[in-house]
Amino acid sequence: MNPFSQYIDHTLLKATASTLDIIKLCEEAKQYQFFSVCVNSCYVSLAKASLSESQVKVCSVIGFPLGAMSTATKVSETAQALKDGADEIDMVINVGFLKSKAFDTVEKEIKAIKSIMPNKVLKVILETCYLDDSEILKASEIAIKAGADFIKTSTGFGTRGASTHDIKIMKSALKGDVKIKASGGIRDAETALEYINLGVKRLGTSSGIAIVNGTTSKSDY
Amino acid sequence: MNINAHLDYTLLESTTTEREIIDLCNKARENNYFGICVNGSYVSLVKQFLIDTDIKVSTVVGFPLGCSTTKSKIYEAQQALEDGAEEIGMVVNLGYVKSKNYVSVLKDISDVKMAIGDTPLKVIIEISELNKNEIVRVSEICIDARADFIETSTGFSKSGATLTAIKIIKKTIKDAAQIKASGDILDYESAVKYLEVGADRLGISTSFKGLNNNTRQQRNSKIYKQYLESAAKKSEGADLNTSSKETTINKL
Repeated sequence: MNPFSQYIDHTLLKATASTLDIIKLCEEAKQYQFFSVCVNSCYVSLAKASLSESQVKVCSVIGFPLGAMSTATKVSETAQALKDGADEIDMVINVGFLKSKAFDTVEKEIKAIKSIMPNKVLKVILETCYLDDSEILKASEIAIKAGADFIKTSTGFGTRGASTHDIKIMKSALKGDVKIKASGGIRDAETALEYINLGVKRLGTSSGIAIVNGTTSKSDY
Repeated sequence: MNINAHLDYTLLESTTTEREIIDLCNKARENNYFGICVNGSYVSLVKQFLIDTDIKVSTVVGFPLGCSTTKSKIYEAQQALEDGAEEIGMVVNLGYVKSKNYVSVLKDISDVKMAIGDTPLKVIIEISELNKNEIVRVSEICIDARADFIETSTGFSKSGATLTAIKIIKKTIKDAAQIKASGDILDYESAVKYLEVGADRLGISTSFKGLNNNTRQQRNSKIYKQYLESAAKKSEGADLNTSSKETTINKL
């Protein structure tokens, strides 16, 4: 197996992705033995069915990509995704509440989601492109306190993806078993390696095949 | 032409703070806009601030990708109604459109419409991702699903409304539903053009440039007067501990 394979969440989140695109994504994930596929919640059951005979996990995004829906709605969307077969959940924090310094509300929301999936992996997307350094640190601390299994940099729909600077700040907040997922803008093996060397345990990318083949992808995510 | 009664004053950026939402409400009052459109997590706050007005609180579901499950969209819409929303804008499932799975596109919309009953449903079809045939097809589906409005854009895609798209939609649906143009409507002049080609409602953002001076209609509106009165009362309250109130009265 390629050393990169198990780091990769093979990702397709654009609004226009068709059922055939999702099936192809799953086939690729099987072929390259990626850790998971990451899809929008309407495709979780399709992905689960496509991957039923394999080790590849299914990961669903929640409150994506703005993170601005109500907490009750995020919890309900999560419950539905788990029911449809999601193994892991990538939720977006409420960036507006963070900017309003309503830190308790941000924390409660993450806790509410974690509480319905105690034994499954919850990744919390901070969307670092909109945050300054102190906000990245604060958001990391809140997510970890609230029970996140991973803190994750980006949705891929913001103004930029991950940066090594983001990762260094997030690392300084890490406690216990919490890990970091870098996502957005990781298109080749060199960049992937740079993140892995910094301690990143998972990579969210649409360029997984380019990464394992040692080429560069033109994808935005 | 007073266009304000056609405008949904909109702020959907993920970084929006409570302070910005309150400013949005105040400005909507000031201009007597038809409605205000915010993300789900701010519906209850907005409702609280606009409870004494006729301004309609509108929110979005499955926004901006339209890729959550139908069940999630239904839950999100019902939660929004509970929080005080009076209109719902849902994004069509573009992946299903591109898969030519039109049955699921229809079911997605009609299930949400059934769940919210008489509450107006605007279906955002994201024209920037559709070709002409798809715009026609999806518009027809919206009518079959009993949508109250067809809306052009989320404002989060490559581009927003176009006059051409409004004409195509209007020709397709006639008067079977209303049309909302949104995204890239930046000033009064272009707003008027959209209304002239068949749009009934326009989504505008905080950077919209309206007419400089309020029209007489606006100045005479009941809500605007109430707003001025309440604003005056507030500033009186703030001035109570100073002598400036007396000074003002003396000047008058």
